[in-house]
Amino acid sequence: MSADTSKPLAPGVRPAVGWSLLGSELSVLFRRLRTWAMLLALAAVPILIAVAVKLSSRPVAPGRGPLFLDRITQNGLFVAVTALVVCVPLFLPLTIGVVAGDTIAGEANMGTLRYLLLAPAGRVRLLLVKYAGAVAFCFAATVTVAASGALVGVVLFPVGPVTLLSGDTIGVGESMLRSLVIAGYITVSLLGLSAIGLLISTFTDVPVGAMAATIVLSVVSQVLDNLPQLDWLHPWLFSHHWLGFADLLRQPIDWTSFGANALLQAGYIAVCGTLAYAKFSNKDILS
Amino acid sequence: MTRAKRRWLPALLIPLALVLAVLTGSVQAGATVSLPPKTADEVLAMIARTQVRAFSGTLQQTAELGLPDIPSSTPGVTPGAGTALEFLAGSHTARVFVGDPTKARLQIMDAMAERDLIVNGKDAWFYNSADNSATHLQAPKPGAPTETLPSKPAMPTPEALANRFLAAVDAGTEVTVGEASSVAGRSAYRLSLAPKDPGTLVASVSIDVDSETGFPLGVHVQAKNQADPAYSLAFTDLSLTAPDPGLFQFTPPAGSTVTTKVLPARLTPVPDADSSPKAPSPHGTRVSGEGWGSIVMLPAAAVPAGLTSNPQISQVLQSVSGGRALTSSLVSVLILDDGRVLAGLVPLERLQSAAAAQ
Amino acid sequence: MKEPSPTQRGAAAEELAVETHGLVKRFGQRAAVDGIDLAVPRGAVFGFLGPNGSGKTTTIRVLLGLASATSGDVRVLDQSMPAALASVLPDVGALVEGPGFYPFLTGPGNLMRLDSADRHALPATRRQRVADALDRVGLTHAAGKKVRAYSLGMKQRLGLANALLRPRELLVLDEPTNGLDPQGTREVRSLVRSLAAGGTTVFVSSHLLAEVEQMCTHVGVMSAGRLVAQGPLAELRSAGQRQVVVETPDAERANGVLARLGLVPAATPDGERPIEARAVMNGGLAGPAPEVIVAALVADGVRVRGFAVEDASLEDRFVSLTGEGFDVVG
Ligand SMILES: Nc1ncnc2c1ncn2[C@@H]1O[C@H](COP(=O)(O)OP(=O)(O)O)[C@@H](O)[C@H]1O
Ligand SMILES: [Mg+2]
Repeated sequence: MSADTSKPLAPGVRPAVGWSLLGSELSVLFRRLRTWAMLLALAAVPILIAVAVKLSSRPVAPGRGPLFLDRITQNGLFVAVTALVVCVPLFLPLTIGVVAGDTIAGEANMGTLRYLLLAPAGRVRLLLVKYAGAVAFCFAATVTVAASGALVGVVLFPVGPVTLLSGDTIGVGESMLRSLVIAGYITVSLLGLSAIGLLISTFTDVPVGAMAATIVLSVVSQVLDNLPQLDWLHPWLFSHHWLGFADLLRQPIDWTSFGANALLQAGYIAVCGTLAYAKFSNKDILS
Repeated sequence: MTRAKRRWLPALLIPLALVLAVLTGSVQAGATVSLPPKTADEVLAMIARTQVRAFSGTLQQTAELGLPDIPSSTPGVTPGAGTALEFLAGSHTARVFVGDPTKARLQIMDAMAERDLIVNGKDAWFYNSADNSATHLQAPKPGAPTETLPSKPAMPTPEALANRFLAAVDAGTEVTVGEASSVAGRSAYRLSLAPKDPGTLVASVSIDVDSETGFPLGVHVQAKNQADPAYSLAFTDLSLTAPDPGLFQFTPPAGSTVTTKVLPARLTPVPDADSSPKAPSPHGTRVSGEGWGSIVMLPAAAVPAGLTSNPQISQVLQSVSGGRALTSSLVSVLILDDGRVLAGLVPLERLQSAAAAQ
Repeated sequence: MKEPSPTQRGAAAEELAVETHGLVKRFGQRAAVDGIDLAVPRGAVFGFLGPNGSGKTTTIRVLLGLASATSGDVRVLDQSMPAALASVLPDVGALVEGPGFYPFLTGPGNLMRLDSADRHALPATRRQRVADALDRVGLTHAAGKKVRAYSLGMKQRLGLANALLRPRELLVLDEPTNGLDPQGTREVRSLVRSLAAGGTTVFVSSHLLAEVEQMCTHVGVMSAGRLVAQGPLAELRSAGQRQVVVETPDAERANGVLARLGLVPAATPDGERPIEARAVMNGGLAGPAPEVIVAALVADGVRVRGFAVEDASLEDRFVSLTGEGFDVVG
């Protein structure tokens, strides 16, 4: 081979931190048709809610249906919150289960895992980048629901000051800010589930299995959270604070559930993360 | 150790560290605090002298009275007459803000909903987010400066509850100071009131008193034959600074249903701290017995109509000879067939024999 | 980190690109690789030959750190594996058990993705290197297509391009001609030769004897998880026996003459012409010269119509080593 075949980096030069792998992970994730299909489906939820409310002849009785459903007609900004309440128990975990369960198992299934490791991506680094991708999707999914809700609300209904759970009223600007904080809260809420998906994904080469297991766990956790006989277990379930973002709609904001939720999710990340590290770094890549 | 085993080490150590952190956290929460010893009288004096007038905090209320399960109010359910019962079972969290004697706000934090009581001088508002309804409560004589709505008694704080129990302290009560504890991050003396009367269901009432300010931080009622407190109300979080005055300004939100109610002259039907238990009451209520074992008797006329037909209330009532009764580990209520109601912190048999003695 | 290998005996010993000692890999109780001692000299084109299921891919996975060895030592490019994985792998290009790509990305998209996983690869030259690698395997025309639309052969070429994204010291190619047409096979062969000429060590596994014979300088033969032979191709070849083949109608008389000359007559293979006498030359080249044999045959009145001295075919050699038939394709 010719003279230009010298190594691109002189020996002794420290390799780059490798942000380009993260960039590539994000671009692969978000250039994928499946990702867009899931985001579009999520974006459709607030649109369906808003259109159904708009078309229905009877006004929604207060206190019926999900949070704020009765107030959508008066203020379109409520569509986002209502849609988030609807999406948190099932739709969001469903899509996050698909992405998180696919992280390692999906690469193994396509045969790309061995080539990434031979590049070499480094097993720990790959695990971190894969998790970062799942987290980015959590945020994208949440923001998609909130943004689509706000947009369709603005289009179909009047917009004005927003009434909080405490009965106080805040302006449009602050309500946008609070919507962002809620999106942050829900993203944090889903971090534990993503870590669980990542962990399961290191145990199998069958992505569908890892996805299904993750989704089933999210349902099981919520069911257990509703059994009063198990109330000693409730504070330890990763879904325990999922609907706690209502505390961000009080005046003044109550940050207690945000803190408790973040701590709980951090615990899940630590435990599942170290388990995933142990499993994946010892794993024979035979796919 | 092999390389492969070493990699499992963090997966072992991190959960272990987390478990340890949780355990030490709960041990520290229950750890005794060392405070200079005080006698019961000194602690009682601290409570009486407390200067805390403005504060904001989070209250945790738990009731384990051994009642049958009452379906807790969900955002979809409009709170009705049975709402009061809700506080006799399960636990509730509320935030309380007290500005000055005329300004206070209570927020009962339900799942995805909230009920607010805002007291501001002559005005009071009740707001329920579940049905987006606001109720304007007005003092009977508008304009009279002395007739403002009392704010501190209206707020169910540990202080209000403690004062009610302390008012009942008499020769039949043994008052001691127990081990100091930590409540809402503050060290507190634990004042214990133990009835000597064997007839009452109350084993003891303990009051956590802030060691710095003498402000009651928590009240726990222990029933006989039950390990867990039957009822407790305590701060989980407390700040002794004046809350933002904007919190006490309430304007009903656009789109809410607003009703206005003028309050009767007496705001609180329960006896005030200064009123003697034997004082005759305007409704013809009679009290028999003394101290902890006393029994309240309401004539049929004083009982709200349709009380027993309320489905939520009738759910917790059981038929007994002569009427229907609510029995719990702390309170018994006997509703006679003729409409009279007897209640007390005593076993049901005492109510029945009191009814028979009439 | 380049310390001398502890197994290197003296300065005369060849520098080895790949070296294993007692390498064992078990799946449960079954040993897929059962104590092999590989020695691949630097600069060699090493053919790793063995029937399907003999443990070639498993060995390669262990060499590259994809799987852990049950026991034994592995050194690649003079560094101990898997400890030095991160510093060794950037210098190794590999194709393991067929290509693996994102079907929803284009060929170049896939290569960019895999290249960005390498912290040592310069992002600035990425696009150019990808284009060069595609050009090298003749895939430039398919650059716009999603890999989903690639044929197996095209994917195989893309896999080769991935191994060539950066200049490598060692190329590990597991069955690189699988799925390729004859033209592609020829191209791979010439690619391997040109890489070897540039100084790259090539470790190529195959179950096709002919392929190995045509492009390798060294051979290792796997059979049921064991390395049954290893060395330069010429050495293995000469270790085989030479045969004298006489074409004659007087086969019996010819055998007598050959026996007298110290050769061992061999049975005529079934189905072959009976007008042939075969004898194995013991002692290889040290036996009687061909002209002496022919003279002796003619002197004895054997009608010699044809005469040849044949090296034993590698195929015979490997069949005798592995005890199994090979799927031999011209
Ligand atoms: N993941 C696996 N689990 C169990 N056995 C395996 C696995 N992969 C390969 N083997 C076994 O190991 C042996 C060697 O396989 P392999 O290395 O793929 O052979 P080759 O590449 O030479 O065809 C085979 O007998 C195969 O059955
Ligand atoms: Mg193979």
